[in-house]
Amino acid sequence: MKRSPRFVAAIVALVAAMLCATSAIAAPMRLWHAYRGEEQRALETLVKQYAPGEVELLALPYDAFGSKLAAAIPLGDGPDLFIDAHERLGDYRARRLVAPVGDALDEAAPFSAPALQAVQLDGQAFAVPLSQKCVALYVNTDLVRDDPRELEDLVALRATLPKDVFPLAYEAQGAYAHAAILAAFGGQLLDASDQLAFVGPAAERSVELVRGLLDQRVVPEDADGSLVTNLFRSGKAAFAISGPWLAADLGSAKELHYRVALLPRIRATGQLMRPLLTVESVMMSPKGAARAEVRALARKLASAEAASLRARVARTLPARGDVELPSGDRFLGTFAAQAALAIPMPSSRAMRATWEPVNRALRKVLRRDATAEVALAEAKRRFDDVRRPLPPPASPAPLAVLIGLGALVGAFQLVRSARDADYGAALRRSLPAYRYVLHAVIAIGVLVMLPLTIGAGTSLFAGGAGDTRYVGIANFVSILTARGGSLLSSGSFYLVLAVTCVWTVVNLFFHVTIGVALALVLSRPIMRLRAMYRVLLIIPWAVPSYVTALAWKGMFHRQFGAVTGVILGLNDLLGTHLEPIAWFSSFTTAFTANVATNVWLGFPFMMVVTLGALTGVPEEVLEAAEVDGATRWQRLRLVTLPMIRPTLMPSITLGAIWTFNMFNVVFLVSGGDPDGTTDILVSEAYRWAFTREAQYGYAAAYSVLIFLLLSGATRLSEWRRSAREARERAPVDAAAGAATAGVP
Amino acid sequence: MKRRVSPAESVAAHAVMVIAVAFALYPVLWVVALAFSGARPPAPHVLPLPTSPTLRPLLDVGGASRDGTWLFGRQLMNSIVVALATAGVGVGIAIPAAYALARFTVLGKEGGVRALLATQMFPTVASAVPLYLLLDALGLLNSRTGLVVCYASTSVPFAIFQLRAAFEAIPADLEEAAMVDGATRFEAFLRVVLPAARPAIAVTALFAFMSAYNEFILAATLLGREEMFTLPVVLQRFVGEYDAQWEHFAAGALVVSIPVMALFYVAQRHLVAGLTSGGVKG
Amino acid sequence: MASVHVRDLRKRFGKTEVLKGVSVEVPNGSFAVLVGPSGCGKSTLLRTLAGLEEADEGTIHFDDRDVTRLAPRDRDIAMVFQSYALYPHLTVRDNLAFGLRLRKTPEAEIAARVAEASETLGLGPLLERLPKALSGGQRQRVAMGRAIVRRPSLFLFDEPLSNLDAALRAQVRVDIRKLHDRLGATSVYVTHDQVEAMTLADVIFVLNKGVVEQAGAPLEVFDRPATKFVAAFLGSPAMNFVDVRIERAEGGFRAAGQRGLSVALDAATFGDSLEDGRAAVLGVRPHEVELGEGGVSLAVDLVEALGPESYAHGDLGGGAFVARLDASSPVKKGEALPIRLRTVHLFDKETGTSLRGAR
Repeated sequence: MKRSPRFVAAIVALVAAMLCATSAIAAPMRLWHAYRGEEQRALETLVKQYAPGEVELLALPYDAFGSKLAAAIPLGDGPDLFIDAHERLGDYRARRLVAPVGDALDEAAPFSAPALQAVQLDGQAFAVPLSQKCVALYVNTDLVRDDPRELEDLVALRATLPKDVFPLAYEAQGAYAHAAILAAFGGQLLDASDQLAFVGPAAERSVELVRGLLDQRVVPEDADGSLVTNLFRSGKAAFAISGPWLAADLGSAKELHYRVALLPRIRATGQLMRPLLTVESVMMSPKGAARAEVRALARKLASAEAASLRARVARTLPARGDVELPSGDRFLGTFAAQAALAIPMPSSRAMRATWEPVNRALRKVLRRDATAEVALAEAKRRFDDVRRPLPPPASPAPLAVLIGLGALVGAFQLVRSARDADYGAALRRSLPAYRYVLHAVIAIGVLVMLPLTIGAGTSLFAGGAGDTRYVGIANFVSILTARGGSLLSSGSFYLVLAVTCVWTVVNLFFHVTIGVALALVLSRPIMRLRAMYRVLLIIPWAVPSYVTALAWKGMFHRQFGAVTGVILGLNDLLGTHLEPIAWFSSFTTAFTANVATNVWLGFPFMMVVTLGALTGVPEEVLEAAEVDGATRWQRLRLVTLPMIRPTLMPSITLGAIWTFNMFNVVFLVSGGDPDGTTDILVSEAYRWAFTREAQYGYAAAYSVLIFLLLSGATRLSEWRRSAREARERAPVDAAAGAATAGVP
Repeated sequence: MKRRVSPAESVAAHAVMVIAVAFALYPVLWVVALAFSGARPPAPHVLPLPTSPTLRPLLDVGGASRDGTWLFGRQLMNSIVVALATAGVGVGIAIPAAYALARFTVLGKEGGVRALLATQMFPTVASAVPLYLLLDALGLLNSRTGLVVCYASTSVPFAIFQLRAAFEAIPADLEEAAMVDGATRFEAFLRVVLPAARPAIAVTALFAFMSAYNEFILAATLLGREEMFTLPVVLQRFVGEYDAQWEHFAAGALVVSIPVMALFYVAQRHLVAGLTSGGVKG
Repeated sequence: MASVHVRDLRKRFGKTEVLKGVSVEVPNGSFAVLVGPSGCGKSTLLRTLAGLEEADEGTIHFDDRDVTRLAPRDRDIAMVFQSYALYPHLTVRDNLAFGLRLRKTPEAEIAARVAEASETLGLGPLLERLPKALSGGQRQRVAMGRAIVRRPSLFLFDEPLSNLDAALRAQVRVDIRKLHDRLGATSVYVTHDQVEAMTLADVIFVLNKGVVEQAGAPLEVFDRPATKFVAAFLGSPAMNFVDVRIERAEGGFRAAGQRGLSVALDAATFGDSLEDGRAAVLGVRPHEVELGEGGVSLAVDLVEALGPESYAHGDLGGGAFVARLDASSPVKKGEALPIRLRTVHLFDKETGTSLRGAR
């Protein structure tokens, strides 16, 4: 009673506060972005200036950006506006994540023509351009004085530069950088009708040119962005093709002198290299686009004033012509000139299906695994395979009948067992146990089973957002018939399955043998420094695998990896002439690299589990075996291993399942190279879901197949195990007969 | 009885350990080198030494702050709290269920165990969006609680498997003795079985902790404010569309793994103690 | 202190019926031993008394309290397990105190009782140790201590000595009986060792295949086994059995076997069971044999000299036979030894029940 007045007062205060909150302050505008560093700082400054206190800024990891948008916007949880590259517009629009920008785009403003063109879809603007990004030529002025007139001029530099300095560093194996060379040959990646245009003589000649550069060691092999940065920063590359982001990394290298220049011409055609242009833009979710203040903010963010601040603070290239660049900034000036020559990246959804086949074809040719003609034809096939027409909509009637039948059978079973007296008794006996499992059943059922079931359900649908249709089992049919191709062709379900099985078996073998062996050594009672060893040995498990997997990939680099370092060291030491291994150019070596990484990542887990299991092996059983005359090896094989097997079995089963589905090692280390042969089923599924036009239904069908395979396999092994156990137990049972009952 | 061990054997054991530790540490030392240099050496080196060593990346990552609050510290706390809560909740849910599966005759036990295993077999390619919808419906979106609930329920199946095997290894006599001594079944479970299963519980909790601690896709998808982010999300921010700040990522990864190693150092005490040796055995 | 009354207890595990209607009466304060071969149901019976298994049919009363459906903790019992089941995570002191703590006994009282029990069993120096640091005998004593601190009205022992070596076993056996006499509580003790059964028990229950074959004071059961099974089970070396046929002869009945075996039967002992031509089994304990003419003859094929006594193994009436002899007896292998049988038992050939008439 005493408490009630205070309680009422609190409620009143709370309600009042809520009312004030809703009436006085409008909902804040939510702005999501993936900017970092200076760009992030510039954006924060601008937002503070234009809409103080009204904007909730959220900086997201680039990798999670798209999926978060896709999940949040349809629920109304998403941002009002977000900043992203224009080439994703086609996809976003199809999924209704963006709306036309309306008056956010200042009609009168002098946006650059390519930028304006880039944000248009079907004649409507779906984003407001902020800045432009493309690659240009970085020149190390300590190493070379003149810009090359033609790309082929760089070959001559090979002779004059020191042996460990590359004339040019760029990501030659990537379609993004290659597009600039392709353009000089008059080619393009994707044509206006969304067909892969990376075929024919122009494309072939462009690839052959690059292969020549690689062969003459003008360009480093397998260069990724960080390698290009490192080479250029440490003066090991005279030129580099990269974007403005490279400059940010060079800032700390004080002793380096460089400038930027326009990309050169290609001698073979006399044409200029023209890079792809990305227009970073403000996009609005449908909810955001309906709000005037959101549109006003977008308009302000795209203003000349804002662009000028971004140019000053973050050296980004404005997307409009009326921005005064910081005086004498030759850097931005050059990029501006380069951007004017650049080709906007197509924003069509088909672009998402382009990268993978083109990258693979490029790498294949550069590895000399195939001629340009063959590789490009294959790329075209792959592209068409991904872009194949959707299966026709199917009638859901068979499914409905099936579900109905299933329900009927289930109900029948239920009635039958309910009538069964034994069943009732068993059920009553189980009741106390159910109290113990109930919350687990609810937690797993709701948060694990339900999403998985829904996910599995999508396997019966095809098409992206906006064009989703029920297709019955068409996805499964298509996968199981290798989409009409040969059943043993690259990327076919059966081939990938075989690779997956080998992958699982090999990994598990090493995980278990290494894990158990180390645990056995560690569990020796006299072992000194045990605690230290134990902690050091779990480090692979403790450090986030994302970064260690990349460290492994770095170690396997043919020109710069530590493994090559070891080989060269051996050569020096022993006078041998071992060739450094190109790990990712053949299946065996690439697969080995993946396995090495995954074994490294996975053995600590088995070791820890085994350590736990070994505490259950009583010392005197081992001593008894020793007295019985068992050798060390026999004790291990006949006593220790059988005794820890029951405890290890669940972990081994789970380990097998996890390894079967371990996609990130495959993704991060070999990336499927060479040619997708080291891909496993689950990485195929991920490719369909995330890099091949977001065919979630198709990916889900892969998941369901994986699930069916794994449950089949575990059922089989379970069945075999129980059969074996029954065999082992049979004679004992017969002899013991009644005896078992008295001594429980 | 002490085993007698020849010096040769001891040397061999240490040799094995040293080789294994070298294998375990070598790639990590590359990460360390990267974290302290900001560059991959542009020539094949065997020794993972940083080129032009600097503390910049470490200070950049560790010193991140916003509006006067130490953001990095906050996010580290988030990670630790979320992971601890996941381990607690996950193992807490799993323990009674695992016990029931180990000790009671339960109708539908086989089916339940199969279903548990099945949850591990299904790749999560297509289940992120349904999960998001579900958490939204439960009002758990944009909250660390929601994240914990997700992580915990995904860690439960594994925990049940692990613990069930552990409980089965504990002699039933112990509980029966406790029950004769005056305990209810639940008291016997609480005061005798649980303490006896401590090593297994420690390992299982450690595992749940690790998986929650390193996860970032769900965290980035489900959390909507920077001060709620866990560290892996923050680390992932160093990987951009065109380039990645690997030295920052590496520095962050090292910082992130320190609490895990500390935790393991503490938990390993439980791993070793042969606690199940109260009966005639051992 | 309580008397135990078990009536018609039945228990099945799946399809096997382990207890097939067992009735047991244990008077207040007495020491009862359940004995039988493994698989006879004795452990199940004990666990049912403890409440660890639930009876399918039948009742259990402690005094006149029906405990059939009670949980173990409500039965006021203590149990010593074969494996000792010491709590591995608790010190000896905490192991002893565990049950008292569960019952919210005041700490002072706990301390006193633990001290008393550890005094009784000599556990003093071990109190702060963990079970894994104890020897087998010490663990056994802790298990006993854990039972006695509780001061229950009924002690249950499940083969508590089977994990000890022979010398220790004899020692502890004596200790247990002394302890029982001092505490005065009713005890039920399961063993498969007939020596333990004979030496410990006030009342012995011989179980076989889920039924009580015979109950009674040890010597009574030993001397007058109700069935061939009981006769065979108790006594070491085991009773000799020879297939015989009952024949009427002048002056009464005789048991006639192969190879001219013929033993006179006392009509007063066997009464009406003696019918001419009835097939039976003759039972003779090895120590019921003495040297002497006028009886039967044993074809000796092995002599075991144990010092104070010897055992002559041989053939009697077509079956293996062992005779206990004084050490001084001049017996040699290969001899035909004339012996007299002091006491003989007769069992029905088919049912195995004793043919001894009602007393």
